[in-house]
Amino acid sequence: MSAVWTASRAAVRRRRVQTFVIFLVVLVCTATALISVALLDAARSPFQRAFDGQNGAHSVVTYDPAKVTDERLTAATTGVEASAGPFGQVIVEPQNDVGPVFSQPLTVVGRADPGGAVDRVDLWHGRWPSAAGEIVLNEPPQPDEDLSMGPLAGVTELVTNGKTLRIVGFAFTVSGSADGWVTPAQVAALHPTGTQMLYRFTGDVSTHDALAARVSGVTTGLPGDALLAAQPYLVTKEEAAAGPGVYLPFLGTFGILGLLVAVIIVGNVVSGAVVSGFRHIGVLKALGFTPRQVVAVYLTMVSVPAVAGAILGTGLGWAAVRPMLTETFRGLGFGQDAAVQPWVITVVLLGVPSLVLIAALLPALRAHRLSAAQAISAGSAPRRGRGLRVQRALSGSRLPRAVSLGLGLPFARPARTALTMASLLLGVVTVTFALGLSDSVIRISEVGEIAAGDIGVRPMRGDEQPASQRSDTEIEQMLRALPGTSQVGVGVARDLSVAGQSEPLMINFVRGDTAAMGYEQQLYEGHWMTAPDQLVLPTQLLNERGLEIGEKVTVSLQGAWTTFTIVGETVRGLPGPEGAFATWRDFPDLDPAAFFYQVQTVEGTDLGAFTQSIRAADPGLDAWDNTGGDSFSTVVTGFAAVLALLLATVAALGVLNTVALNVTERRRDLGMLKSIGMTPRQVVSMVVTSMAALGVIAGLLGIPLGLAAHRLVVPLSADAAKIRLPEYVMQVWDPATLALLAFSGVVIAVAGALIPARAAARLTIARVLHNE
Amino acid sequence: MTTETPVVRLDGVRKEYGDTVALDGVTLEIRAGEAVAVMGPSGCGKSTLLNMIAGLDKPTAGEITVHGERLDTMNETKLSLFRRHHLGMIFQFFNLLDDLSALDNVALAAQLTGSSAGTARRRALELFDELGIATRRNVYPAALSGGERQRVAVARALMNRPALLLADEPTGALDSKAGEQVMDLLLDLNQIGQTLLIVTHDERLAHRCASRLVELADGQVARESALDRV
Ligand SMILES: Nc1ncnc2c1ncn2[C@@H]1O[C@H](COP(=O)(O)OP(=O)(O)O)[C@@H](O)[C@H]1O
Ligand SMILES: [Mg+2]
Repeated sequence: MSAVWTASRAAVRRRRVQTFVIFLVVLVCTATALISVALLDAARSPFQRAFDGQNGAHSVVTYDPAKVTDERLTAATTGVEASAGPFGQVIVEPQNDVGPVFSQPLTVVGRADPGGAVDRVDLWHGRWPSAAGEIVLNEPPQPDEDLSMGPLAGVTELVTNGKTLRIVGFAFTVSGSADGWVTPAQVAALHPTGTQMLYRFTGDVSTHDALAARVSGVTTGLPGDALLAAQPYLVTKEEAAAGPGVYLPFLGTFGILGLLVAVIIVGNVVSGAVVSGFRHIGVLKALGFTPRQVVAVYLTMVSVPAVAGAILGTGLGWAAVRPMLTETFRGLGFGQDAAVQPWVITVVLLGVPSLVLIAALLPALRAHRLSAAQAISAGSAPRRGRGLRVQRALSGSRLPRAVSLGLGLPFARPARTALTMASLLLGVVTVTFALGLSDSVIRISEVGEIAAGDIGVRPMRGDEQPASQRSDTEIEQMLRALPGTSQVGVGVARDLSVAGQSEPLMINFVRGDTAAMGYEQQLYEGHWMTAPDQLVLPTQLLNERGLEIGEKVTVSLQGAWTTFTIVGETVRGLPGPEGAFATWRDFPDLDPAAFFYQVQTVEGTDLGAFTQSIRAADPGLDAWDNTGGDSFSTVVTGFAAVLALLLATVAALGVLNTVALNVTERRRDLGMLKSIGMTPRQVVSMVVTSMAALGVIAGLLGIPLGLAAHRLVVPLSADAAKIRLPEYVMQVWDPATLALLAFSGVVIAVAGALIPARAAARLTIARVLHNE
Repeated sequence: MTTETPVVRLDGVRKEYGDTVALDGVTLEIRAGEAVAVMGPSGCGKSTLLNMIAGLDKPTAGEITVHGERLDTMNETKLSLFRRHHLGMIFQFFNLLDDLSALDNVALAAQLTGSSAGTARRRALELFDELGIATRRNVYPAALSGGERQRVAVARALMNRPALLLADEPTGALDSKAGEQVMDLLLDLNQIGQTLLIVTHDERLAHRCASRLVELADGQVARESALDRV
């Protein structure tokens, strides 16, 4: 073995460029692979992870305390794996301003502690209520600074039925078991109307029917009318699936892409190292190295830098992905610890070096089959028939000689050139695709949000002080005149009776820039209203009411039946309960407080200051920041940027490797060219030109491929996530971006070629010629 | 010197590369202690013949026996083991390993036969002394002159005291002075009993070092003659 070790150690030490390139490529690819796999793992089932983490309740069941005692509930355990409760439960209506989220009837449960066998509530801020008069509210975890900026800022208490409950903390339940928690004594004082039991069942819980069967199992033997409600976890799971979690499959495609590129480029570089060593292999064989020993030399030679690169790359990827995952899950509102799973690290740490070994093994085995005589002669000179012909054609052109020589270089080694081309192409495709994908995902995640404008404004209600003295048109004018305003939409929401239906339909009558702010752009189908008798409905509302585009709806409006036709379907309606859109009508008898305003600001406006300027302009107006949920787009942009950068770097390293190999092999040609008077600058431009030409081709081919991948993958992921895409989500390309992208191939190629080209220019003629 | 069993025996050896017939029925014997020169025009099959005898390539037909063993039926691994123990090779373009110093290039051959690195280096140093290149032992091949490289290659070939030393155009890439030195070296080796097969088209080399001349033409042995060394 020692002869093998001597030969491989010498190769690792003396072939510094090769060792370094393998190390670097493996390092970057390992980091990419780790980020990718961690991402895929996280994207798999964020809800399930959070649910399992809290030992979530399969069913949150409410019983009537008048019909069944706590003792009987505790005793009913048919099919129950674990349970929590009984807890007293009451619905309270907040009477003070507790922000938009909690301004509704709230389910409050009396629980002595957040832990237990089921529904281990995550108390992420403050403390659990320990005395009467204290409450903890259910809210997804968020950083303290978000809390202090968000709608809950300044909310310190909840007033209901003349009692004041001090908010002492925030906690989060994935099971959605309550909106707030108080001590058991406090809930008793509030006169509970229900008793809550939280169950985890044995047996099948995968469908609504199965869950219903489980619940009826546990309630057998209890009084028939004791069960008030049972909320299966599937409801929450489905809600989660419709939340920002749907975008995870999109992130997953980054993961797959990253993995793919990492595999291909590692393969390229490593096999390049082996192929370029054919003469070396022949010599080893002539000396008496057995085929097995030759393979061992080559595997050891690439393993040393590969293992070092894999270990460092794992660390690097881990450090990079942790904050990204944490942000992602915060954005999802599950607030779980998003640590990289140990299996991910294990898989990457073992997988990448194995990949390197396979990449090295394939050409090494080919060399193994070559007879020693062939191997020795294989390394001596590349075949050049084709190269010569192209060279001759080019030298007849009017290009500078160095450039035309450089353009001919790639033809000397067609196979290697093809592999380099593949690296470059992948680089360009990745950059293009990543850019398009992140742009699309951001658009998807902001559907509804952009359209809602940055700032929401409404006049204080009648009983609040001070009241605005302006009319709705005056308010609109005032808002438009503010520095920083770019668009203003005005709306008024009316709950209208529908002929033939018991439930009223909410219609938002809008004017101003509402359509232009994005609602029109986000139409799935149909068109925006063009006449006063037309409606546009968000999907959810269409589905709830069983309506379709083209159908007519008759509502009672200002004392008369009015018929509207549905002409469009949009992603989401205005913030708040889902309502239809219709064009503006005057409602002379309405309280000015019924109108609301949406303001889109000029890019870069300080929203805090802008909000204050509205309040300063009219103290009778309430204005709030509608943005938020931005962290998700930050994450996506972050992922896209990091992966695109990593993969572009890897592609550049692939070029560097090729050029280094070419220069080594063609030292003699280079020396000859210099001996007949080529300047170092010309050598650099010749070598760089050879790669830049590939970069141009990669740019031209890679962009359509990247666009096609985007066209294909985004709708595919959307399907997987069961969401529909408005067309504007796909229209992320503009000519300037494409031109820049076309340039990316050249940039990657030149970046990779420059270092070895300069090394080639510095070769002294005497040494080169002496060596051959 | 016993001459009963020949060190090399070729019987009807044929080698084809696709349509090219490189060797066309070569029958040849080399006895221990002989120094045989193979000559002939470029492309007549000299290197191919040498590669066959070294087990670097397999014949299309015919039998090759070296040091009492049939090479044409051996697998690659057996051939490697055979080569490292019984053969030494010198090439026109030296074929030293660029990654190793001159001394380590030579020591590597002994390491292959199981010597420790220390033992291998000591033996290599002795050879370096004998060949007059001791001062160049820590230099890498790229910095050696052609003559020095070829002497390192000779040292490497001699490391395991081979039964047969094969040389393919050993002076082909050298200037006349360096060429002379290598010729002297080969002659000295043969005079202390080393069996030699030298492929060359240098008349002077053949007449100086060889005791017998084999002339190849179009892959066939055209003429064999005894030589009086000058
Ligand atoms: N590996 C090979 N593949 C194809 N043809 C070969 C190979 N090696 C040698 N030849 C051909 O075999 C013939 C003999 O070559 P060679 O033995 O190298 O001649 P020389 O006498 O000049 O050493 C030539 O025609 C050469 O082109
Ligand atoms: Mg030859």
